[in-house]
Amino acid sequence: MSARKPDFRPFAVPLGLVLLWEALMLAFPTASETLAPPHAVILGFFGIVTDGTLALQTAQTLSSALGGLAIGFTLGSLLGAAFGLWRWFDRAMQISVESVRLIPSVALIPLSMMVFGFGTRMEITIVAFTTQWPAMVLARAAVREVEPRLMEVATVLQMSLLQSATKIVLPSILPRLFVSLRLTAGVAMIVAITVEVAANPYGLGAAILAAQISFRPEVMLATLIWTGVVGAGINQVLLTTQNRLFRHSLPGGGGSE
Amino acid sequence: MIRFTQIASFALSLLVALALIGLWHFVASARLVPPIFLPLPEKTFDALVTGMQNGVLLDASLATLRRMFFGWFLACLAGISLGALVGSSQKLRIYVAPMLETLRPLPASSLIPLFIAVIGLSEGMILGVIAFGALWPLLLATTHGIVSVEPLLIEVAQALAMPKHKVLWKISLPSAMPDILAAMRLSLTVSLILAVVCEMLTGSEGLGQWLLATSRAFASTKMFAGIVVLGLMGYASSLIMNLVEARALKWKSAAN
Amino acid sequence: MSTAMPAQISLADVDVSFGSKTVLSGLNFEVFKGEVISIVGASGCGKTTSLRLLAGLLAPSGGSVSFEGKPVRGPRRETAIVFQDYGKALLPWRTAEGNVSLALEVMGVPGPERRSRISELLALTGLAGHHDKYPAQMSGGMQQRLQIARALAQDPAVLLMDEPFGALDAMTRQSLQDELLDLSARTGVTIYFVTHDLEEAIYLSDRIIGLLPNPGRIGRIFDVPLPRPRDQLITKEDRSFLALRHELYDFVKGSEH
Ligand SMILES: Nc1ncnc2c1ncn2[C@@H]1O[C@H](COP(=O)(O)OP(=O)(O)OP(=O)(O)O)[C@@H](O)[C@H]1O
Ligand SMILES: [Mg+2]
Repeated sequence: MSARKPDFRPFAVPLGLVLLWEALMLAFPTASETLAPPHAVILGFFGIVTDGTLALQTAQTLSSALGGLAIGFTLGSLLGAAFGLWRWFDRAMQISVESVRLIPSVALIPLSMMVFGFGTRMEITIVAFTTQWPAMVLARAAVREVEPRLMEVATVLQMSLLQSATKIVLPSILPRLFVSLRLTAGVAMIVAITVEVAANPYGLGAAILAAQISFRPEVMLATLIWTGVVGAGINQVLLTTQNRLFRHSLPGGGGSE
Repeated sequence: MIRFTQIASFALSLLVALALIGLWHFVASARLVPPIFLPLPEKTFDALVTGMQNGVLLDASLATLRRMFFGWFLACLAGISLGALVGSSQKLRIYVAPMLETLRPLPASSLIPLFIAVIGLSEGMILGVIAFGALWPLLLATTHGIVSVEPLLIEVAQALAMPKHKVLWKISLPSAMPDILAAMRLSLTVSLILAVVCEMLTGSEGLGQWLLATSRAFASTKMFAGIVVLGLMGYASSLIMNLVEARALKWKSAAN
Repeated sequence: MSTAMPAQISLADVDVSFGSKTVLSGLNFEVFKGEVISIVGASGCGKTTSLRLLAGLLAPSGGSVSFEGKPVRGPRRETAIVFQDYGKALLPWRTAEGNVSLALEVMGVPGPERRSRISELLALTGLAGHHDKYPAQMSGGMQQRLQIARALAQDPAVLLMDEPFGALDAMTRQSLQDELLDLSARTGVTIYFVTHDLEEAIYLSDRIIGLLPNPGRIGRIFDVPLPRPRDQLITKEDRSFLALRHELYDFVKGSEH
């Protein structure tokens, strides 16, 4: 068997679009106030990389996203695990949880702004509030699907709650918790950027908006594309880690949500 | 028996919800949290009723609801048709699927400045943002649903010498329905979020603008009333999707 | 069967290969209108492939398949298929009625007429009163009947059946065999029947094609001299039934070396 030739077809359409974009910008130079051609975007990218603004904004967004994720994921997973273990608790909380869970996260931006002002803390709060729900749903499902035999083992061995949690439940839901972490990390990034675009003058989201307002389309587009790259990068890192660690314990890719 | 436990657990969970509102009342009236940050529940309710009666909050809610719905509707039309197109053509998939997958994690809200730059601050821009942002889950789910149709069903269709468009209509799309409905639910959430964000950014009448304005004026009861309305919208759309799913996917639950 | 009659389906020097693997080689046989012809052979010797060939789902790599004198270019509505995997071959989102209706819709049968045809077909296959059931609510035997009803809705000249009763219990199997014979006697539809079960092949057929494996080719064509109508007890106690069974058994056993 010869080595597989690399497949270039997936690059054809994006490349064509970029060329078309360049050509259109050449044909209609008046559009350059609001939009920039690809080559200008590349130059703009180097500009914001070298003067350090992009690094700073990326750090701001990432710290809020990851900080909020840490809180939201932990709280949500604990709550979900409790709901999974004790069905009566889940049933009792159902209406309360559902009615808070379905509040669109952005509705809390003004409140959080009132409490914390602009900056990291208000953003972390929103990210944490939003990410806890998917974390809760996924942890609950994971705990419910722990092999009942294993729970019987815990009963037979007369394990304490702590013992059965650390020796039985946690190890068996670990792979799915990691999947949940990867999915909620995506949510965290989206929410952080959204808060920044909507209100918080801070991080990548605000930078995109500011560049648009100050008519620097090349910076706007460069930052926008970079934002996409960061999001995809985080997902890729977590996906690779997940495949390394849990390849054997997640049948069917482990994507079951 | 099942009915009884269902009713009992519903009653219990309603009771817990009421108790939590009681707790809210206690915390607020004891001023454990400054009233600016947490107004009394009954005052929030008053603000809600007043706002609906004098029409200001009502109009804002209707404006948001309208944007959410039209944006979502456009997203459904575009997302499902594009998904059907990409799903039905292996060739097209080779060229565009990796690109679509790569674009997916890009937050729709980050595109708002781009939309403003290209279209300008207008109602059309808002609808465009909502439709574009809410389209992704639908596009990807429809594609996925159609690609993963049971191959034997395609042979069944071939054996009936079914023309291609009928295979799509009678086999592929119904089979992708569970995926499509799940995406419609997600898209509805995305639409509501984007509607609110756009209103915050552009100052167009709506709940987003209402929340910002009331928070700037430190009118917490009004702001909380706005949050409650948004929560209700989220809840209602989830309930409607539950009903739609229960009807459209009756065959799934029929198995048990 | 009389040799004076022109063949309904004929295969001339048909080869089928997938890549470098030859699955069927040099097939030459004819199927006559109204006959029941079975095909037996070791697992993997190409029985399903031969059925797909006749259905037009698969084009031969060499030689030709013709139906009523004309070369087969693709699936035709005169040819209906009953797939082995009934669980997957029915549309799970349509009721029994809807599944039969599918064939009628494609045939362009107008609505009102469709209703009466559906009732007729469901009654014929013993599914009267199960109109509104989803496939998931039916037993294996009922699902297989439903597949047969759908196939018959095509008003086919030829019915291709791939181990249709393979996964059913003995009682269900026997009653479906008798219903099939009844159907063939009443409608004169040609039946091409793939099976693993030698007794079933003899019981149903006028002729039996014995396939040899690697590559799949015809070893022998057996004539079944048993009179019709057949009977589960009497036919199966017939001397020639037992003798043929012996012969077929030796054939299949011998082919495995
Ligand atoms: N699409 C295909 N591509 C490659 N090989 C195939 C394909 N379809 C069938 N084969 C091969 O052809 C051979 C015959 O397959 P077929 O399904 O016709 O056997 P069969 O007699 O029906 O077997 P069984 O009794 O197990 O159903 C097998 O070795 C199979 O692996
Ligand atoms: Mg087979």
